[in-house]
Amino acid sequence: VQNSVQRSATDATPPSYQKGIAMIVPPARQLARLLLVALALLLAACGAAAPASPPAAEGDADTPVALRMTVWTGSEAHLALLNGIAEAYRADHPNVSVQFDTIPFDDYTSKLTIQLAGGNPPDAGWILETTAPAFIDAGVLADIGGTLKGDESYDYADLSAPAMGLWTRSEAVYGVPFSTSPFVLFYNQDMFEAAGLQTPNELQAAGAWTWEALADAARTIAAENPGVYGFETVDNAGYSSRIWHNLVPIVRAYGGEAWADGTCTMASPEAVAAVQLYHDMVYVDQSAVPPGEQGDFYTGASAMTVGQLSRVSKLKDATFAWDIAPLPAGPAGQPAVVGQAALGVFNAGPHPEEAADFVAFMTNKENTAKLAQFFPPARSSVLATDAMATANPAINPQSLNGAIVTGIEQGVVLPSHSEFPKIDLAARAEFDKLWSPDADVAAVLGGVCAAIDPLLQP
Amino acid sequence: MQLSLPRRRAGRDEAVAGYLLVAPQLAGFLAFVLGPLLAVFWFSLQERSLLSPVVTPVGLQNFATLFADDALFRTVLWNSLVFAGGLVPLNVALALGLALLLARPLFGVTFFRTLFFAPVVTSAVAWAIVWRFMLQGEQGTVNQLLSLGGIAGPNWLREPGWAMAAVIVTRVLKGVGLNMLIFLAALKDLPQDYLDAARVDGANPWQTFRHITLPLLAPTTLMVLVITVIGSLKVFDHIMLMTEGGPANATLVLVYYVYYQAFRNFELGYASALAVVLFALTLALTLLQWSLRRRFVYNEQ
Repeated sequence: VQNSVQRSATDATPPSYQKGIAMIVPPARQLARLLLVALALLLAACGAAAPASPPAAEGDADTPVALRMTVWTGSEAHLALLNGIAEAYRADHPNVSVQFDTIPFDDYTSKLTIQLAGGNPPDAGWILETTAPAFIDAGVLADIGGTLKGDESYDYADLSAPAMGLWTRSEAVYGVPFSTSPFVLFYNQDMFEAAGLQTPNELQAAGAWTWEALADAARTIAAENPGVYGFETVDNAGYSSRIWHNLVPIVRAYGGEAWADGTCTMASPEAVAAVQLYHDMVYVDQSAVPPGEQGDFYTGASAMTVGQLSRVSKLKDATFAWDIAPLPAGPAGQPAVVGQAALGVFNAGPHPEEAADFVAFMTNKENTAKLAQFFPPARSSVLATDAMATANPAINPQSLNGAIVTGIEQGVVLPSHSEFPKIDLAARAEFDKLWSPDADVAAVLGGVCAAIDPLLQP
Repeated sequence: MQLSLPRRRAGRDEAVAGYLLVAPQLAGFLAFVLGPLLAVFWFSLQERSLLSPVVTPVGLQNFATLFADDALFRTVLWNSLVFAGGLVPLNVALALGLALLLARPLFGVTFFRTLFFAPVVTSAVAWAIVWRFMLQGEQGTVNQLLSLGGIAGPNWLREPGWAMAAVIVTRVLKGVGLNMLIFLAALKDLPQDYLDAARVDGANPWQTFRHITLPLLAPTTLMVLVITVIGSLKVFDHIMLMTEGGPANATLVLVYYVYYQAFRNFELGYASALAVVLFALTLALTLLQWSLRRRFVYNEQ
């Protein structure tokens, strides 16, 4: 190969000499040599590229570190906020840059898992509450307790203990919830007024805000506005990835639960009554956006939807008046349901230590207050002040206080399970059977329980 | 001897040049096709999760579970059978019918050939997504058109039986153009003498088709059948984009089930075992079709 390299180098010399070579060496051999040289160069290039990034030396502040964090938001407002925090971090750590990678919510866990297993692991990422136990059990998440507790100004004890429950195993800390966000009702105030209806907040004040009142309002508005639905499930994904977040709030208001103590309780009479109410909204009243249909609340195509504080960013250019209210009550009271998301560091990532430090920075008191405009915090100090009630100026403080702050204080996450990905898949195939006009709700929910009970048992 | 030596050298050099020319392709094949293929066989003997680095060799346990305990696998096999059983006859019959119609030099025939071939070159993703919108329960184009005729269409992709029918029909419309083109080319190549002889003998068009055209098309038909059957077993993108295997697993077919086990359930070992079964099934079907060739294909040399 050496020899060939030298020969080929002479190819740049005057044409007469080149012609001489061509006369001596048969064309096939010449071609073979050229190709060998090309191959050698290619291999050399690959070889040089492979060991390009030796592990950064401990405490070396000059080595550039490019962190990558996966998120499921694509909202410009959210990303601007996140990038602002990364910029601020850079001021103290000029060698560290952070890139936020958006993976859509529906495919988040499976695409993230492919990246982790496929040799392209991110350094850190948003972790969904439902996948937390599976990730922790499989050793995917790094224990960042040392970084958090070692820094006095971080004030680890300030993180509310119930909110941390899902993310800690004795002393180890596998994530910091940056969002402990209650599900609330977003409603189109103009539509309620046009229909001459009391708004959800007025009903709430009168103690008459129930799921039946919601169904009544949805029916009235849908009947009066052709092409508009009365009610849309959370992100219109209530028949697929958000099936639990669609049904469990109603089920809890009726006194039921998804599962408890390793046994499915979705087929209890309370749960059946709750799901029947929603089924009737879809097929009897035809007031809820049916499966497979579009009905975007945020563009005025539905009068109500379930959402979280982060969805306020979608209403920036809304052409209608809107407000938020707590989810309605049922026969068993008005329980709040929260959805949690945490920041976690991946063991497999290239820079776990730097990533842990950045996660600590992102969830310190100052940045938690910043994130609070979209992501309700788990820090007692931020919740205790009025900071939360004025966190997002787009919402009137009274509504924010009534729906969000109360929700954070009282809200409970969905039941968790280390086999949740499998439970979810098995249940969804059964839940699908609900969505026809003549479905027998009790029988379908019995089928859900039959499918997931074997997976729930410890 | 003295003459042959330089010739042998030249021949070897040519061979080296040849191998070097195919080297990039070969390296790609080894790294991205053969390697993963062998890995699938290896993984199928292990219990391994996509989440965890722990790997346990389990021998043939995955296959035992597959055939003995996995009720969902039986559903999946049945679904694949229904899908192939619906798609293959529909696709081949429609392709042959269209080819027979469009083989005549009629006015506007080029327009119709282009029309039926256009879906083949359309992106599969765009095709599936547009159809998903057209098949919506209330606002979908299909049901809007049906309602003009006073028919209340079902929520196509959300009701188990209809969902399977919908994915089959939309898949046929996507792929039928290619088979039509193959039949068209074969029809143009038919020896005119046989057809003329049949006409002289007083055969009616059906007799000509049944006893002349169809037997002469047999090699083409066999080839079309093989690629359509294999294609129907390999369907994935279409299912992923239109139904995600739902509703209630009604369109959960083999390849999608491999994806489901590997990337939604994270059971990589089990998914590999499934892939091996799929491989064996496809291979068996292809061999069967080739062995049937003798019986149905008369004029092949």
